[in-house]
Amino acid sequence: MKIEINDLRFTYPTGLEALQGISLTIEAGEQVAIVGQNGAGKTTLVRHFNGLLQPSSGSVLIGEWDTKKHSVAKLASRVGYVFQNPDEQLFSKDVGTEIRFGPRNLGYSKEKIDELVTRALSLTELSDKTDTNPYDLSPTWRKMAALASVIAMDTPIVIFDEPTTGQDAVNVARIANVIAELRKEGKTVITITHDIDFCAENFDRVIALSNGKILLDGSARDVLGQEEILAQTYVDPPQLTRLGKRLGLKETVRNQDEFLKALK
Amino acid sequence: MHERLSFHIKRDSVLHRLNPLTKLTLVLALIMVAFTSPWYWTPHLLFLFVIIPLSFIGKVFREFFFAATRLILPAAGFLFLMQAFFQPIGEHVIFKFYFLDITQESLMFAFKNAMRVIVMVSSFTLFLLTTHPSELMSDLTRRGLPGQFAYVIISTLQILPQIQSKSQTIISAQRSRGLDTEGNFFKRAGSLVPLVGPLVFGSLVEVEERAIAIEARGFTSKSIKTSLYEIADTSFEKIIRWGLIIIIILSIVLNIWL
Repeated sequence: MKIEINDLRFTYPTGLEALQGISLTIEAGEQVAIVGQNGAGKTTLVRHFNGLLQPSSGSVLIGEWDTKKHSVAKLASRVGYVFQNPDEQLFSKDVGTEIRFGPRNLGYSKEKIDELVTRALSLTELSDKTDTNPYDLSPTWRKMAALASVIAMDTPIVIFDEPTTGQDAVNVARIANVIAELRKEGKTVITITHDIDFCAENFDRVIALSNGKILLDGSARDVLGQEEILAQTYVDPPQLTRLGKRLGLKETVRNQDEFLKALK
Repeated sequence: MHERLSFHIKRDSVLHRLNPLTKLTLVLALIMVAFTSPWYWTPHLLFLFVIIPLSFIGKVFREFFFAATRLILPAAGFLFLMQAFFQPIGEHVIFKFYFLDITQESLMFAFKNAMRVIVMVSSFTLFLLTTHPSELMSDLTRRGLPGQFAYVIISTLQILPQIQSKSQTIISAQRSRGLDTEGNFFKRAGSLVPLVGPLVFGSLVEVEERAIAIEARGFTSKSIKTSLYEIADTSFEKIIRWGLIIIIILSIVLNIWL
Protein backbone atom coordinates (compact mmCIF):
# COMPACT_ATOMS: atom_id res chain seq x y z
CA MET A 1 0.00 0.00 0.00
CA LYS A 2 1.36 3.36 -1.04
CA ILE A 3 1.99 6.17 1.42
CA GLU A 4 1.86 9.70 0.06
CA ILE A 5 2.83 12.68 2.14
CA ASN A 6 2.28 16.11 0.76
CA ASP A 7 3.94 19.19 2.27
CA LEU A 8 3.25 17.93 5.77
CA ARG A 9 3.66 20.46 8.53
CA PHE A 10 3.02 19.91 12.19
CA THR A 11 3.23 22.29 15.12
CA TYR A 12 2.81 21.09 18.71
CA PRO A 13 0.50 23.08 21.01
CA THR A 14 3.65 24.38 22.71
CA GLY A 15 4.53 26.15 19.47
CA LEU A 16 7.30 23.75 18.49
CA GLU A 17 7.35 23.30 14.73
CA ALA A 18 8.21 19.61 14.63
CA LEU A 19 7.66 19.05 10.91
CA GLN A 20 8.37 21.82 8.43
CA GLY A 21 7.11 20.72 5.06
CA ILE A 22 7.73 17.05 4.37
CA SER A 23 6.86 15.54 1.02
CA LEU A 24 7.46 11.86 0.58
CA THR A 25 6.18 8.82 -1.26
CA ILE A 26 6.72 5.31 0.03
CA GLU A 27 5.76 2.57 -2.42
CA ALA A 28 4.14 -0.69 -1.36
CA GLY A 29 6.66 -3.22 -0.09
CA GLU A 30 9.50 -0.77 0.55
CA GLN A 31 11.79 -1.20 3.57
CA VAL A 32 12.52 2.25 4.91
CA ALA A 33 14.68 3.33 7.82
CA ILE A 34 14.24 6.79 9.30
CA VAL A 35 17.30 8.21 11.06
CA GLY A 36 18.19 11.52 12.62
CA GLN A 37 19.12 13.18 15.88
CA ASN A 38 16.76 13.27 18.86
CA GLY A 39 14.04 15.81 18.26
CA ALA A 40 14.47 15.69 14.46
CA GLY A 41 10.79 14.77 14.09
CA LYS A 42 11.03 11.04 13.37
CA THR A 43 8.34 9.91 15.79
CA THR A 44 6.18 12.92 15.00
CA LEU A 45 6.34 11.97 11.33
CA VAL A 46 5.39 8.32 11.72
CA ARG A 47 2.58 9.16 14.14
CA HIS A 48 0.93 10.86 11.20
CA PHE A 49 0.85 7.58 9.29
CA ASN A 50 -1.88 6.06 11.45
CA GLY A 51 -3.63 9.28 12.42
CA LEU A 52 -2.33 9.55 15.99
CA LEU A 53 -1.30 13.04 14.98
CA GLN A 54 -3.16 15.17 12.47
CA PRO A 55 -1.28 17.49 10.12
CA SER A 56 -1.36 21.20 10.92
CA SER A 57 -1.25 21.57 7.15
CA GLY A 58 -0.57 19.28 4.19
CA SER A 59 -1.86 15.76 3.88
CA VAL A 60 -1.04 12.12 4.50
CA LEU A 61 -2.57 9.46 2.27
CA ILE A 62 -2.48 5.78 3.18
CA GLY A 63 -3.58 4.07 -0.02
CA GLU A 64 -6.53 6.24 -1.02
CA TRP A 65 -7.41 7.08 2.61
CA ASP A 66 -6.71 10.57 3.86
CA THR A 67 -5.70 10.19 7.53
CA LYS A 68 -7.79 13.24 8.36
CA LYS A 69 -10.95 11.44 7.34
CA HIS A 70 -10.42 8.14 9.19
CA SER A 71 -10.15 7.27 12.86
CA VAL A 72 -7.01 5.73 14.33
CA ALA A 73 -8.95 2.53 15.02
CA LYS A 74 -9.90 2.39 11.34
CA LEU A 75 -6.40 3.20 10.09
CA ALA A 76 -5.09 0.42 12.35
CA SER A 77 -6.29 -2.03 9.70
CA ARG A 78 -3.74 -0.56 7.29
CA VAL A 79 -0.92 0.63 9.50
CA GLY A 80 0.48 -1.38 12.42
CA TYR A 81 2.60 0.59 14.87
CA VAL A 82 4.94 -1.01 17.41
CA PHE A 83 5.69 1.48 20.14
CA GLN A 84 9.12 1.84 21.63
CA ASN A 85 8.28 0.61 25.10
CA PRO A 86 6.41 -2.71 25.22
CA ASP A 87 5.33 -1.99 28.81
CA GLU A 88 3.09 0.74 27.47
CA GLN A 89 0.89 -1.69 25.61
CA LEU A 90 0.97 -5.15 27.24
CA PHE A 91 -2.00 -5.75 29.52
CA SER A 92 -3.28 -9.30 29.05
CA LYS A 93 -2.75 -12.18 31.42
CA ASP A 94 -0.97 -14.27 28.80
CA VAL A 95 0.94 -13.73 25.58
CA GLY A 96 -1.63 -15.51 23.41
CA THR A 97 -4.50 -13.27 24.52
CA GLU A 98 -2.30 -10.23 24.15
CA ILE A 99 -1.56 -11.05 20.52
CA ARG A 100 -5.22 -11.78 19.73
CA PHE A 101 -6.21 -8.32 20.92
CA GLY A 102 -5.21 -6.44 17.74
CA PRO A 103 -6.68 -8.80 15.13
CA ARG A 104 -9.87 -9.13 17.20
CA ASN A 105 -10.26 -5.35 17.20
CA LEU A 106 -9.99 -5.44 13.42
CA GLY A 107 -12.93 -7.83 13.28
CA TYR A 108 -11.31 -10.78 11.51
CA SER A 109 -12.99 -14.19 11.57
CA LYS A 110 -11.98 -16.60 14.32
CA GLU A 111 -10.15 -18.91 11.90
CA LYS A 112 -8.21 -16.02 10.44
CA ILE A 113 -7.30 -14.75 13.91
CA ASP A 114 -6.04 -18.20 14.95
CA GLU A 115 -3.95 -18.41 11.83
CA LEU A 116 -2.52 -14.89 12.22
CA VAL A 117 -1.69 -15.43 15.89
CA THR A 118 0.09 -18.71 15.20
CA ARG A 119 2.09 -17.12 12.43
CA ALA A 120 3.04 -14.10 14.56
CA LEU A 121 4.05 -16.37 17.44
CA SER A 122 6.31 -18.48 15.26
CA LEU A 123 7.82 -15.43 13.51
CA THR A 124 8.80 -13.92 16.83
CA GLU A 125 9.81 -17.32 18.27
CA LEU A 126 7.27 -16.98 21.06
CA SER A 127 5.39 -20.21 20.31
CA ASP A 128 6.49 -21.87 23.57
CA LYS A 129 5.54 -18.83 25.63
CA THR A 130 1.87 -18.51 24.62
CA ASP A 131 0.56 -19.08 28.14
CA THR A 132 3.14 -16.96 29.96
CA ASN A 133 2.11 -13.70 31.54
CA PRO A 134 3.83 -10.96 29.51
CA TYR A 135 5.21 -9.41 32.68
CA ASP A 136 6.96 -12.66 33.59
CA LEU A 137 8.95 -12.40 30.38
CA SER A 138 12.34 -10.72 30.21
CA PRO A 139 12.38 -7.24 28.62
CA THR A 140 13.70 -8.68 25.33
CA TRP A 141 10.82 -11.15 25.09
CA ARG A 142 8.32 -8.50 26.09
CA LYS A 143 9.59 -6.54 23.12
CA MET A 144 8.98 -9.57 20.90
CA ALA A 145 5.48 -9.96 22.35
CA ALA A 146 4.74 -6.35 21.46
CA LEU A 147 6.09 -6.96 17.95
CA ALA A 148 3.99 -10.09 17.58
CA SER A 149 0.85 -8.32 18.79
CA VAL A 150 1.16 -5.83 15.93
CA ILE A 151 2.36 -8.26 13.25
CA ALA A 152 -0.68 -10.43 13.95
CA MET A 153 -2.86 -7.57 12.74
CA ASP A 154 -1.63 -8.37 9.23
CA THR A 155 -1.46 -4.77 8.11
CA PRO A 156 0.11 -3.90 4.75
CA ILE A 157 2.25 -1.29 6.50
CA VAL A 158 4.19 -1.92 9.72
CA ILE A 159 6.00 0.76 11.70
CA PHE A 160 8.68 0.01 14.29
CA ASP A 161 9.79 2.73 16.67
CA GLU A 162 13.37 1.97 17.71
CA PRO A 163 12.98 -1.80 17.77
CA THR A 164 16.60 -2.60 18.67
CA THR A 165 17.14 -0.18 21.55
CA GLY A 166 18.34 -2.08 24.61
CA GLN A 167 18.31 -5.44 22.83
CA ASP A 168 21.15 -7.95 22.75
CA ALA A 169 22.70 -9.25 19.50
CA VAL A 170 20.55 -12.41 19.47
CA ASN A 171 17.35 -10.43 19.71
CA VAL A 172 18.47 -7.86 17.16
CA ALA A 173 18.99 -10.79 14.76
CA ARG A 174 15.48 -12.03 15.62
CA ILE A 175 14.00 -8.62 14.84
CA ALA A 176 15.96 -8.48 11.56
CA ASN A 177 14.51 -11.86 10.73
CA VAL A 178 10.98 -10.63 11.38
CA ILE A 179 11.59 -7.68 9.06
CA ALA A 180 12.98 -10.00 6.36
CA GLU A 181 9.87 -12.18 6.60
CA LEU A 182 7.58 -9.15 6.32
CA ARG A 183 9.52 -8.09 3.23
CA LYS A 184 8.91 -11.51 1.68
CA GLU A 185 5.20 -11.06 2.30
CA GLY A 186 5.36 -7.78 0.39
CA LYS A 187 4.66 -5.55 3.37
CA THR A 188 5.95 -2.03 3.78
CA VAL A 189 8.22 -1.71 6.81
CA ILE A 190 9.12 1.67 8.22
CA THR A 191 11.58 1.75 11.10
CA ILE A 192 12.85 4.56 13.24
CA THR A 193 16.31 3.70 14.46
CA HIS A 194 19.48 5.04 16.01
CA ASP A 195 21.19 1.73 15.36
CA ILE A 196 23.01 2.55 12.14
CA ASP A 197 24.43 -0.95 11.62
CA PHE A 198 20.94 -2.39 11.89
CA CYS A 199 19.79 0.26 9.43
CA ALA A 200 22.59 -0.52 6.96
CA GLU A 201 22.05 -4.27 7.07
CA ASN A 202 18.26 -4.41 6.78
CA PHE A 203 16.93 -1.47 4.80
CA ASP A 204 16.96 -0.51 1.13
CA ARG A 205 15.98 3.06 1.63
CA VAL A 206 17.11 5.52 4.28
CA ILE A 207 15.54 8.86 5.11
CA ALA A 208 17.55 11.23 7.29
CA LEU A 209 15.57 13.90 9.10
CA SER A 210 16.93 17.02 10.68
CA ASN A 211 14.92 19.73 12.45
CA GLY A 212 11.65 18.66 10.90
CA LYS A 213 12.95 18.54 7.35
CA ILE A 214 14.21 15.80 5.08
CA LEU A 215 17.97 16.03 4.93
CA LEU A 216 18.61 12.99 2.73
CA ASP A 217 16.35 10.45 1.09
CA GLY A 218 17.59 7.67 -1.11
CA SER A 219 19.02 4.19 -1.28
CA ALA A 220 20.85 3.11 1.87
CA ARG A 221 24.08 3.09 -0.14
CA ASP A 222 23.73 6.69 -1.30
CA VAL A 223 22.55 8.08 2.01
CA LEU A 224 25.09 6.31 4.21
CA GLY A 225 27.85 7.48 1.88
CA GLN A 226 27.15 11.14 2.67
CA GLU A 227 29.16 11.33 5.86
CA GLU A 228 29.36 15.14 6.03
CA ILE A 229 25.66 15.72 5.48
CA LEU A 230 24.66 12.99 7.93
CA ALA A 231 26.88 14.64 10.53
CA GLN A 232 24.44 17.58 10.50
CA THR A 233 21.87 15.38 12.18
CA TYR A 234 24.44 13.59 14.37
CA VAL A 235 24.36 10.31 12.48
CA ASP A 236 27.60 8.41 11.89
CA PRO A 237 27.65 5.99 8.95
CA PRO A 238 28.52 2.41 9.96
CA GLN A 239 32.17 1.85 10.85
CA LEU A 240 32.75 -0.37 7.81
CA THR A 241 31.34 2.30 5.52
CA ARG A 242 33.66 4.89 7.02
CA LEU A 243 36.61 2.52 6.88
CA GLY A 244 35.85 1.79 3.24
CA LYS A 245 35.87 5.53 2.55
CA ARG A 246 39.23 5.96 4.27
CA LEU A 247 40.64 3.05 2.30
CA GLY A 248 39.52 4.79 -0.85
CA LEU A 249 37.11 2.08 -2.00
CA LYS A 250 35.18 3.22 -5.05
CA GLU A 251 31.80 1.94 -3.91
CA THR A 252 30.13 2.81 -0.63
CA VAL A 253 29.99 -0.40 1.38
CA ARG A 254 27.30 -1.13 3.93
CA ASN A 255 28.17 -4.51 5.44
CA GLN A 256 30.89 -7.13 5.74
CA ASP A 257 30.04 -8.90 2.47
CA GLU A 258 30.19 -5.74 0.44
CA PHE A 259 33.35 -4.66 2.21
CA LEU A 260 35.15 -7.94 1.53
CA LYS A 261 33.95 -7.99 -2.07
CA ALA A 262 35.22 -4.46 -2.64
CA LEU A 263 38.61 -5.35 -1.20
CA LYS A 264 39.19 -8.19 -3.65
CA MET B 1 5.49 20.08 28.65
CA HIS B 2 3.32 18.96 31.54
CA GLU B 3 4.63 21.30 34.22
CA ARG B 4 1.18 22.67 35.04
CA LEU B 5 0.34 20.62 38.07
CA SER B 6 1.58 23.03 40.72
CA PHE B 7 -0.11 26.41 40.80
CA HIS B 8 3.21 28.16 40.93
CA ILE B 9 3.69 31.02 38.49
CA LYS B 10 7.31 31.94 38.01
CA ARG B 11 7.62 35.71 38.38
CA ASP B 12 9.87 38.14 40.12
CA SER B 13 8.11 39.97 42.93
CA VAL B 14 8.53 40.83 46.60
CA LEU B 15 6.02 38.14 47.41
CA HIS B 16 7.92 35.54 45.39
CA ARG B 17 11.17 36.46 47.10
CA LEU B 18 9.77 36.15 50.63
CA ASN B 19 10.81 33.07 52.55
CA PRO B 20 8.16 30.35 52.14
CA LEU B 21 7.74 30.04 55.90
CA THR B 22 6.97 33.74 56.20
CA LYS B 23 4.26 33.39 53.59
CA LEU B 24 2.90 30.30 55.28
CA THR B 25 2.76 32.11 58.63
CA LEU B 26 1.01 35.01 56.96
CA VAL B 27 -1.59 32.66 55.51
CA LEU B 28 -2.19 31.09 58.91
CA ALA B 29 -2.47 34.48 60.56
CA LEU B 30 -5.00 35.66 57.96
CA ILE B 31 -7.10 32.55 58.46
CA MET B 32 -6.97 32.69 62.23
CA VAL B 33 -7.95 36.34 62.34
CA ALA B 34 -10.73 35.85 59.80
CA PHE B 35 -12.21 33.00 61.80
CA THR B 36 -11.80 34.29 65.32
CA SER B 37 -12.30 38.02 65.05
CA PRO B 38 -15.45 39.08 66.92
CA TRP B 39 -16.02 41.98 64.55
CA TYR B 40 -18.42 41.12 61.75
CA TRP B 41 -16.63 42.78 58.84
CA THR B 42 -13.13 41.37 59.53
CA PRO B 43 -13.04 38.66 56.81
CA HIS B 44 -14.54 41.01 54.22
CA LEU B 45 -11.98 43.70 54.90
CA LEU B 46 -9.11 41.23 55.01
CA PHE B 47 -10.06 40.00 51.58
CA LEU B 48 -10.49 43.44 50.06
CA PHE B 49 -7.60 45.26 51.68
CA VAL B 50 -4.99 42.55 52.31
CA ILE B 51 -5.41 39.60 49.99
CA ILE B 52 -6.34 41.42 46.79
CA PRO B 53 -3.55 44.02 47.17
CA LEU B 54 -1.12 41.17 47.92
CA SER B 55 -2.08 39.52 44.65
CA PHE B 56 -1.04 42.75 42.88
CA ILE B 57 2.21 42.90 44.82
CA GLY B 58 2.86 39.28 43.84
CA LYS B 59 2.12 40.17 40.16
CA VAL B 60 -0.33 37.31 39.95
CA PHE B 61 -3.65 39.18 40.04
CA ARG B 62 -4.81 37.80 36.70
CA GLU B 63 -4.20 34.18 37.69
CA PHE B 64 -5.53 34.85 41.17
CA PHE B 65 -8.72 36.35 39.77
CA PHE B 66 -9.08 33.39 37.44
CA ALA B 67 -8.71 30.87 40.26
CA ALA B 68 -11.05 32.88 42.46
CA THR B 69 -13.87 33.04 39.94
CA ARG B 70 -13.55 29.49 38.76
CA LEU B 71 -12.77 27.69 41.99
CA ILE B 72 -13.38 29.70 45.11
CA LEU B 73 -16.56 31.63 44.30
CA PRO B 74 -18.66 28.61 43.27
CA ALA B 75 -17.68 26.74 46.43
CA ALA B 76 -18.26 29.73 48.67
CA GLY B 77 -21.52 30.46 46.87
CA PHE B 78 -22.76 26.97 47.55
CA LEU B 79 -21.79 27.27 51.20
CA PHE B 80 -23.57 30.61 51.38
CA LEU B 81 -26.82 29.18 49.99
CA MET B 82 -26.72 26.15 52.26
CA GLN B 83 -26.19 28.20 55.37
CA ALA B 84 -28.66 30.89 54.40
CA PHE B 85 -31.37 28.26 53.99
CA PHE B 86 -30.61 25.88 56.80
CA GLN B 87 -29.49 28.14 59.67
CA PRO B 88 -32.49 28.09 62.03
CA ILE B 89 -31.76 31.48 63.55
CA GLY B 90 -33.40 34.90 63.59
CA GLU B 91 -36.95 36.17 63.37
CA HIS B 92 -36.85 38.63 60.47
CA VAL B 93 -37.99 36.30 57.73
CA ILE B 94 -37.23 37.66 54.28
CA PHE B 95 -38.17 34.74 52.11
CA LYS B 96 -40.12 31.56 52.71
CA PHE B 97 -40.27 28.41 50.64
CA TYR B 98 -42.08 25.44 52.21
CA PHE B 99 -40.01 24.53 55.27
CA LEU B 100 -37.05 26.63 54.13
CA ASP B 101 -36.88 30.20 55.27
CA ILE B 102 -34.26 32.87 54.93
CA THR B 103 -33.99 35.33 57.74
CA GLN B 104 -31.95 38.48 57.90
CA GLU B 105 -29.82 36.85 60.58
CA SER B 106 -29.15 33.66 58.68
CA LEU B 107 -28.25 35.71 55.63
CA MET B 108 -25.72 37.74 57.60
CA PHE B 109 -24.35 34.59 59.18
CA ALA B 110 -24.00 32.83 55.84
CA PHE B 111 -22.32 35.86 54.30
CA LYS B 112 -19.72 35.98 57.04
CA ASN B 113 -18.99 32.27 56.88
CA ALA B 114 -18.70 32.26 53.12
CA MET B 115 -16.31 35.20 53.40
CA ARG B 116 -14.23 33.34 55.97
CA VAL B 117 -13.90 30.40 53.61
CA ILE B 118 -13.01 32.75 50.78
CA VAL B 119 -10.25 34.28 52.91
CA MET B 120 -8.94 30.83 53.77
CA VAL B 121 -8.91 29.41 50.28
CA SER B 122 -7.83 32.57 48.48
CA SER B 123 -4.91 33.21 50.82
CA PHE B 124 -3.75 29.63 50.25
CA THR B 125 -4.18 30.07 46.52
CA LEU B 126 -2.05 33.19 46.63
CA PHE B 127 0.55 31.29 48.62
CA LEU B 128 0.64 28.45 46.09
CA LEU B 129 0.77 30.87 43.17
CA THR B 130 3.87 32.58 44.49
CA THR B 131 5.73 29.66 46.07
CA HIS B 132 7.36 26.80 44.23
CA PRO B 133 6.50 23.56 46.03
CA SER B 134 10.08 22.30 46.07
CA GLU B 135 11.26 25.62 47.50
CA LEU B 136 8.72 25.31 50.28
CA MET B 137 9.69 21.72 50.97
CA SER B 138 13.43 22.28 51.01
CA ASP B 139 12.94 25.23 53.35
CA LEU B 140 10.75 23.19 55.68
CA THR B 141 13.11 20.20 55.55
CA ARG B 142 15.98 22.49 56.48
CA ARG B 143 13.94 23.54 59.49
CA GLY B 144 13.47 19.94 60.59
CA LEU B 145 10.51 18.59 58.64
CA PRO B 146 11.15 14.87 58.02
CA GLY B 147 12.52 14.25 54.51
CA GLN B 148 10.04 11.44 53.95
CA PHE B 149 7.15 13.83 54.38
CA ALA B 150 8.61 16.29 51.90
CA TYR B 151 9.26 13.43 49.49
CA VAL B 152 5.64 12.32 49.55
CA ILE B 153 4.45 15.81 48.66
CA ILE B 154 7.07 16.55 46.02
CA SER B 155 7.01 13.16 44.36
CA THR B 156 3.24 13.28 44.06
CA LEU B 157 3.46 16.63 42.33
CA GLN B 158 6.12 15.26 39.99
CA ILE B 159 4.62 11.85 39.32
CA LEU B 160 1.15 13.04 38.37
CA PRO B 161 2.21 14.91 35.21
CA GLN B 162 4.35 11.90 34.29
CA ILE B 163 1.41 9.57 34.69
CA GLN B 164 -0.59 11.94 32.55
CA SER B 165 1.88 11.77 29.66
CA LYS B 166 2.35 8.04 30.15
CA SER B 167 -1.39 7.45 29.88
CA GLN B 168 -1.40 9.48 26.66
CA THR B 169 1.25 7.16 25.21
CA ILE B 170 -0.66 4.07 26.31
CA ILE B 171 -3.86 5.36 24.76
CA SER B 172 -1.97 6.01 21.51
CA ALA B 173 -0.40 2.54 21.57
CA GLN B 174 -3.73 0.79 22.09
CA ARG B 175 -5.57 2.89 19.53
CA SER B 176 -2.84 1.89 17.08
CA ARG B 177 -3.86 -1.68 17.79
CA GLY B 178 -7.39 -0.90 16.72
CA LEU B 179 -8.86 -0.14 20.14
CA ASP B 180 -11.92 2.02 19.63
CA THR B 181 -12.05 4.54 22.45
CA GLU B 182 -15.23 6.08 21.16
CA GLY B 183 -18.75 4.68 21.12
CA ASN B 184 -21.28 3.83 23.79
CA PHE B 185 -20.70 3.54 27.52
CA PHE B 186 -20.17 -0.23 27.65
CA LYS B 187 -17.75 -0.14 24.78
CA ARG B 188 -15.79 2.60 26.49
CA ALA B 189 -15.82 0.86 29.86
CA GLY B 190 -14.51 -2.27 28.16
CA SER B 191 -11.71 -0.31 26.52
CA LEU B 192 -10.50 0.80 29.96
CA VAL B 193 -8.79 -2.49 30.79
CA PRO B 194 -6.07 -2.21 28.11
CA LEU B 195 -5.42 1.33 29.27
CA VAL B 196 -5.43 0.94 33.04
CA GLY B 197 -3.37 -2.27 33.15
CA PRO B 198 -0.13 -0.91 31.70
CA LEU B 199 -0.63 2.40 33.49
CA VAL B 200 -0.95 0.92 36.98
CA PHE B 201 1.78 -1.63 36.45
CA GLY B 202 4.15 0.91 34.90
CA SER B 203 3.50 3.44 37.65
CA LEU B 204 4.21 0.89 40.37
CA VAL B 205 7.49 -0.03 38.71
CA GLU B 206 8.34 3.65 38.41
CA VAL B 207 7.65 4.34 42.08
CA GLU B 208 9.93 1.48 43.05
CA GLU B 209 12.67 2.69 40.74
CA ARG B 210 12.39 6.17 42.17
CA ALA B 211 12.70 4.81 45.69
CA ILE B 212 15.81 2.85 44.75
CA ALA B 213 17.30 5.83 42.93
CA ILE B 214 16.94 8.23 45.85
CA GLU B 215 18.09 5.60 48.31
CA ALA B 216 21.20 5.12 46.18
CA ARG B 217 21.87 8.78 46.85
CA GLY B 218 21.59 8.37 50.59
CA PHE B 219 18.02 9.47 51.19
CA THR B 220 17.65 7.77 54.57
CA SER B 221 21.17 8.66 55.67
CA LYS B 222 21.13 10.21 59.14
CA SER B 223 23.91 12.66 58.48
CA ILE B 224 23.14 16.34 57.96
CA LYS B 225 22.53 17.14 54.31
CA THR B 226 23.51 20.26 52.48
CA SER B 227 21.16 21.94 50.07
CA LEU B 228 21.95 23.03 46.54
CA TYR B 229 19.57 25.95 46.82
CA GLU B 230 20.07 28.80 49.20
CA ILE B 231 16.68 30.05 50.36
CA ALA B 232 16.85 33.61 51.57
CA ASP B 233 15.66 34.36 55.07
CA THR B 234 16.37 37.80 56.50
CA SER B 235 16.18 38.85 60.14
CA PHE B 236 13.50 41.31 59.07
CA GLU B 237 11.37 38.39 57.95
CA LYS B 238 11.97 36.70 61.30
CA ILE B 239 10.58 39.75 63.05
CA ILE B 240 7.55 39.73 60.75
CA ARG B 241 7.00 36.06 61.49
CA TRP B 242 7.14 36.61 65.22
CA GLY B 243 4.70 39.48 64.85
CA LEU B 244 2.34 37.23 62.91
CA ILE B 245 2.67 34.46 65.49
CA ILE B 246 1.76 36.92 68.22
CA ILE B 247 -1.32 37.90 66.20
CA ILE B 248 -2.26 34.24 65.83
CA ILE B 249 -1.86 33.61 69.57
CA LEU B 250 -3.75 36.80 70.43
CA SER B 251 -6.66 35.84 68.21
CA ILE B 252 -6.86 32.41 69.84
CA VAL B 253 -6.63 33.86 73.35
CA LEU B 254 -9.19 36.54 72.60
CA ASN B 255 -11.51 33.93 71.20
CA ILE B 256 -11.32 31.75 74.28
CA TRP B 257 -11.47 34.71 76.61
CA LEU B 258 -14.38 36.53 75.05
